[in-house]
Order: sequence, then C-alpha cells, then structure tokens
Amino acid sequence: MTSVLRADGLTKHYGRHPGLVEADLDIPAGRVVGLVGPNGAGKSTLLGLTSGLIEPTSGTIEVLGSRPAASGSQLARVGFVAQDTPVYAGLSVGDHLRLGARLNQRWDEQLARRRIAQVGLDLSQKAGRLSGGQRAQLALTIAAAKRPELLIFDEPVAALDPLARRQFLQHLMEFVSELEVTVILSSHLLGDLERVCDHLVLLASARVQLAGEVDDLLSTHYRIVGSRDDVAHLPPGFDVISAEHRGRQSTLVVRRTDTTPIPRSFANAERLDLEEMVLAYLTRATDPSGAASHHSPALETLR
Amino acid sequence: MIWLTWRQFRGQFLATVGLLAVLVAYLLYLGVTIRDAYDSDIVGCVAARGCLIDDATASFIRDYRGPVTIPSIVLMILPALIGVFWGAPLITRELETNTHRLVWNQSVTRTYWLAIKLGFIGLVSLVLTGTLSVLLTWAASRYDLVGGNRFDQMSFASRNIAPLGYIVFAVVLGTLLGMVTRRTVPAMAVTLLIIGVVQVLAPTLVRPYLRAPVTVSVAYNAETRARGGSLDIPSSNPLSITGYSIPGALTLTDRTSLRNAGGTEVRATDVKDCLADEGVTSTDGWQQVERCIAAKNLHFDLEAQPANRYWSFQWIEFGAFVGLGLLLSGLAFWRIRHVRG
Amino acid sequence: MNHAVKAVGLGLRYGQRDALTDCTLEIPEGSVVGLVGPNSAGKSTLLSLICGLLEPSTGTISVLGARPGVSAAHLARVGFVAQNIPLYDNLTVAEHLRLGAKLNPRWDQRLADEHLQPLRGDLKRKAGQLSGGQRAQLALALVAAKRPELLVLDEPVAALDPLARRQFLRRLMELVADLQATVVLSSHLISDLERVCDQLIVLTRGRVQLAGPVEDILTTHYRLLRPSGDPDGLPDGTEIIQALHTDRQSTLTVRSTLPIPGAAPHVQRLDLEEVALAYMGRAQGADEQD
Repeated sequence: MTSVLRADGLTKHYGRHPGLVEADLDIPAGRVVGLVGPNGAGKSTLLGLTSGLIEPTSGTIEVLGSRPAASGSQLARVGFVAQDTPVYAGLSVGDHLRLGARLNQRWDEQLARRRIAQVGLDLSQKAGRLSGGQRAQLALTIAAAKRPELLIFDEPVAALDPLARRQFLQHLMEFVSELEVTVILSSHLLGDLERVCDHLVLLASARVQLAGEVDDLLSTHYRIVGSRDDVAHLPPGFDVISAEHRGRQSTLVVRRTDTTPIPRSFANAERLDLEEMVLAYLTRATDPSGAASHHSPALETLR
Repeated sequence: MIWLTWRQFRGQFLATVGLLAVLVAYLLYLGVTIRDAYDSDIVGCVAARGCLIDDATASFIRDYRGPVTIPSIVLMILPALIGVFWGAPLITRELETNTHRLVWNQSVTRTYWLAIKLGFIGLVSLVLTGTLSVLLTWAASRYDLVGGNRFDQMSFASRNIAPLGYIVFAVVLGTLLGMVTRRTVPAMAVTLLIIGVVQVLAPTLVRPYLRAPVTVSVAYNAETRARGGSLDIPSSNPLSITGYSIPGALTLTDRTSLRNAGGTEVRATDVKDCLADEGVTSTDGWQQVERCIAAKNLHFDLEAQPANRYWSFQWIEFGAFVGLGLLLSGLAFWRIRHVRG
Repeated sequence: MNHAVKAVGLGLRYGQRDALTDCTLEIPEGSVVGLVGPNSAGKSTLLSLICGLLEPSTGTISVLGARPGVSAAHLARVGFVAQNIPLYDNLTVAEHLRLGAKLNPRWDQRLADEHLQPLRGDLKRKAGQLSGGQRAQLALALVAAKRPELLVLDEPVAALDPLARRQFLRRLMELVADLQATVVLSSHLISDLERVCDQLIVLTRGRVQLAGPVEDILTTHYRLLRPSGDPDGLPDGTEIIQALHTDRQSTLTVRSTLPIPGAAPHVQRLDLEEVALAYMGRAQGADEQD
C-alpha cells in the first residue's frame, strides 16, 4: 500500500517552544484522516509541515513520495484550505473559478461548474456576500477542481452551523469517492469526524498520542468498571489510558495491546465511541499524573 | 461601579494628568514671572521719573503675548480634546468590545452604570479644567490688566468659569454621540466637528447678542488710532472709522460714520480745509490731516457690550453650556435604556 | 408549573429585517434548554431578548415573572454569558472577580473561587491573554457567583477544543444542579446538547420550528424508508418533516404522536441531531422554494 504521508521523527520548534515533537506517521492513500487535539497541540504545525508552508526543525516528512512543496507539480497534487476558508471578498464566484483555472494546470472546469450548480451558488455573486457555509463550499470546490491527490483542511467547519456542516461534509465525502483523494481534516467536532473519518491522528502537547485506522482503534479500546482491587490487578496486555475513581468503584479506559481476553471480573467491558476514546487520551495528555480522576459526577448522571 | 470606572479609565487619566502637570508647572512659573515683570516694569515705571508708561506697557504686552497665548489655546481646545478622547469612547469602547453585554448583566441597571461612568468622567474633567482655568486666570491676570481685552475670544474662553461650561457640554456630547453612532471613530469625528462649529459660532453669532447691546459715543481724537480705529475719507460717502475697539468691552460695530456734534454724518466736503489739494502722500501729511479733523469736535457711535458685563456674560455662557450639557445627558439617560445590546 | 421564560408573539425587527418572528415559548423552571439553529437564525436575538439586552418590536416576554432587565434586583436573578465570551481584555482575572463582587450584591465568593479553581495560577493574567477555555471558565465563575435563577449562555463552547468543551459542560451542569437554576444554552453542537439538555428549541429564519422536552421529541420522530410514491400506512396526524426521494425509495422524516408500525430498517428512531437537522433542512428548503 502506498503512503500519502510519511513522517519520521518529525519535529518543529518555534524558538524554544515545541510545535511538534518526534512525530512518526504513516498514512495510507485513500483515507479520510481526522486530526484532533486541543488548541495549541500542534495540529496547525503538522498541517503546515504537510503542505510545505513550514520547514521542519529535524526529522523528515514525505508527502506523495517527495518533500512537501518541492516543485510546482508537487504543489499541484496537494490542495490546502486554511482555517475559516478564506476567499477574495471582492471577487465573484465565477471569478474564483477563473482564478483557479489560471493558476492550476490540472484544473477540472467541468467538475467545478457542476459542483457550483449543485450547491446552488450563483456565479455572479460576490464571495464577500456568501454565508459561511457557502464560502466553505466554494473553497471546497476550488480545492477539489485542482484534482489534487491530497486535500488538507484546517478546521473547515468550525464556524459553520449544524446544517451547513452536515452539507459540507456530505459534499466532501462525495468528492472523496469521486476523485479517490486522500483527505486530512482537523476539527474539534468529534461527532462529525466519527461520521466521515476512517483514520485518526490525535495530537496533544505537541506529540502524537494516537494514530491508526479508526476501526482498529475502536476495536481495541474498552471502558471497564470494577472495584479498585480488580482494576489494580489488570493482567499485562492492557494499557490504562484514563482512570476515574468514585468511592470503591473505578472506571477505566484501557487499550488492549495484544489478544489477551478481558478478565471475567470485567464482564461489563464495553466498546467506546470515537469521542470518548479521544477524550480519554486528551485527559491523559493534559493531566499525566492521573489527577483527572477527581470526584465530579459524570455528565450522564446529571441529566 | 466607581472602582470599575476608575480601573478602566486609570491609564488614560494618568497619561493626561502627566501631560497637564507640565502645563500646571509652566503656569505657576509664568504667573510668578509676569508678576515680577509687572512690579518692576509697570509699577516701577509709574514710580520712576522720566519713564514713558506707554512704551513700558507696549513692551510688557509684547514680551508676554506669546507665553500667555499658548496656554490659552490649550484651554480653548481642551473641551474638544476631552470630548473626543474621553467622551466619545466612553460607551463605544464597551460596544465595540462587546463588554457591555458583560457589564449590563451584572446586578446594576444601565442607568446607574451610565450615571457613574458619565458622572465620574465629567467630574474629573471639571476638576482638571477648573484647575487649569484658575491657574491661567491667576497667571495672566496682570497681563489682562495691562493690555488684554477680557472679551477677546481667546481670553474669554480660557479664563474664569466659561471653560467649565464648555467641558460639561463636550463630555456629554461625546458620550451621547458615541451612544448614537455606536462606533468610536465616527463618534470622535462628529464630536470634534460639532465642538469646532460651536466654538466658532458661539463667539461670533451668539455671544454679541446675549444681552441687548448699548450704543457708545466716542470722540474722534488722537486716541482713536491707538485703539485700532482707522479713518477713511472717501470722496462721495461720509467719513468712517473702521476697527475701533472700546477698551475692555466687546465692540460689535466694525465700521461706523464720523458725526459732528449735531449728529450729522461728516463728508469730505465738510473737512475740505484739512485736505491738501494735491492729495495726501506721506505719513506725516496724513497725521496732519488726522490732527486737523480731530480738532473739529467730531464723534462716532458704536454698538457694544460694555466691560462691566464681563461677569454677566461669563455666567450666561457657563449656564447655557451646563444647561445644554444637562439636556444632552437627559437624552443620554433616556437613550441608554433603549440601546440595542 | 412555573415558567422561567414566557414569550407570546415575540418579534424583533432590525430595520427591514425580521430577526425574530412571532415566537411563542414557555420554558419551565428548572429545565435545561438547548437552542439550536443555523447562523443568523435569531438565536442570539432570542437570548438577548431574554436578558433584556434587546427590546421586542412586537409581542411580550416575561422572565422570572417580570419584564427582562427591568430593575437591578431582576438583573441579579439572571446570569448571561454572551457570544464569544466578552471580557475586559486589559483587566486581570482577579480584577474581573472584583468587578463581579462590586456589581452584584448577591455575590457568592465561595462559588466564584470554586469555579475559578482551574485558573488559580492565572489570577494576575490579563483576560486578553487567556485561552478560549480559560475565558469560558472565568465567565462561568463570574456568572456562577451571582447565584442566578436563570442562566443564559450563547454558544459558550464554540471556540473550545473537545476536552475543554467537555470540562466546561461538566462544570456548568454541576453549577446548575447546585443552584437549581433554569438554563438556556445555544450551540451548534447538538450532540453536546443532547448530553445535557432536557428541552430543545429549533430556530430557523427567526421562527421557532420545534420546541419541547427532549424525551418527547425523541419518542415522536421517526425515519421511514419506503418504496417511492407510497405515502400510505401513516397514522392520522403524522406530519412529514422532510422527504428525500430517489428512484427506488423515499426517506421520510416524520413526527407522529401515535406509534408507527414497522421495524428497522424501515422505521427507525432518530437521535436529537437528526431531528434538529431535519427541521433546519425543512426550513431551508421552504426558503429556497420561495
């Protein structure tokens, strides 16, 4: 299988402040990759490194088999949509398409026109007057009509309302199946990512905390509830990601690292959804001492 | 609330006070210097034998015109500065940073909030302006006594209590305009414009008619020229005096006819004997003509607000601008309750 | 039951534009209400009307039994966290607390301190330097110490990352339980709302599309898959919210108070997000046909 992105010990420092530390990644082609993490965790740094906007301090990164932004043809193969989907406010939708056609040799005019019609945009409308959702659709169309092999989005849906978000992601998925493109997408909205992503990269404190196929990840993570004694004597083969203790009872999120069966005392072990899994890692990353297990009631019990 | 207002305003206040402290020091120094000069040059001249008092006062005025004018200008533009930089942003800054949505949902009403903010800034502006005005009035008092005209716009607007009225008006105007425009820069621009217009219109179109002017008869003599009155002798029209100012008064008439004791206008033909046949060319000749005409017991009439009305005018303007300020603040308090949050 | 908020025919015009039209609502005391809708649907307008920041153009609104913002005593009973969490950027965290203590007679310093726990190392920092999560934390502490009976929050978690969002909502819910307050909360993140809310309001184009207890909404909405052009077999009173047709089958999102016969995959229950999106989609579709 070919890799779209391969990083080896990838590190970026801004002065003494670490932007990204020792990232090892291998992302296969054809995936929709969700990139998650707290603000300032290194998401934008990783996306910048991938698109060639930033040079690494050390380590290597290969995108589509070569150094990012190494040449014009390499640039043509990568589409990047920055945060808040910037467009030229003074130019019309049609002007944007002309601009795209001038600047990209592989421009697919037919695809662009068809998409613009599909999302109901008026070619003569000024981009400055578009709603957030329409602007995102325009940026998506322009990025896709480049016919890139890799499409990168930095929080494309953060400012959108639920409906616009849903429509944007729907169109994105249509592009993915039509163009066979790999997509990397950063977002805070884990529910959305769960719906569209098949690969996940989780960053926190400038380090990769978790990376892999979503299905694989979800099938190896469990929430188990048991007495403190039980959870203290977990067999090897389980990594404790997060622990919450209340009274004599403990709730753990664990990752199974081999094929060891779950002990019987944890008969109630259950799979997690993507959001809970990610939150467990984020909690661990921001509070490595495990002090996160304070005695606040879970949200669910308050409802 | 007072704490919050002070905390928000602290930086600006200290910067302004820092600047004005320089002015205060200068005014103290100026006041002492002018007093010393007055005692030695004017009082001393009167006492001394052979000293020409006219020359002494002329040189005294010449020496201190600049040093007195500079702080007078500062006081004249102070209302505009405070209205623009303190009044206009008072509310727009909150609206622009959305903090009004924070503070209007604490347990204080908007009316109270505005009362404290406006009251605090208004009071601070009043105290600052009052201090400067008192100091300038004191520092310039000998200068005003010797040669200044207290009704002169620059003196009138920068001394005694008139500046206090302007400052009240300016602060409230800026605040109200901020509330209406909701944006700092337009509010500042409109505030500056309105205060500028008022400062031009008030002394030219309003002040002269605050009370019914009186008619003053002035004899035409050697003093007339020294008071700025220049004689014009046209061939067909009556003789006229232009630019005469009555000492200490607000003179309203710029050009007026020269009349004889019976009140009839005097024409060139009436003073034929004073005019050389060939026409007058040299300065000496012209002075001779003036002396000749002055000997004919002529006079001219002027409309004026006499010098003894100075304080009445100071109070009227102070009262009018404070009244305007109160009216505008009434509008502001009515308006604040309906400002869109 | 007493109502924390009661609006009748509430409307607000900005010049020519209707921000909110004919909004009739009752929010029971003690409920946690989620408010969702597209951007510029009128969510912030409605919340501002509840807090008395705006005056209605038409209709009436009563909050805790009085006109919103009518007096200082009434303001003290309502807590508001505005959109984008406005704070005085050049005031420190500690100064914000002082502000709160000075401007609120019912100020509860203990509650403020409790909610400021995560920021106790940052008391001397200016609010302008705080992260989104920290701003939200400070705003929550400010509003908590008022001990309000009604708490109104306008997209408080919009700028937060997942963990900060989860923590904020958790603290908010602790506070609500502590104060037994009514909460109205707008958000684009319906899955978050589903976790914390017991009432939902869907607002689009300035009109209330749906309002009611989450439980009722979840039990009365269905997605039906059926062959194209087969509208039969729906109980009386079934309302079709949204219909998507392909050549072979129709997908209907419907509301029905009566149970609909059938089983998955032909009859499915929906989660809250699906229901809300269907209502938003319907309003948008209707708008495009105009």
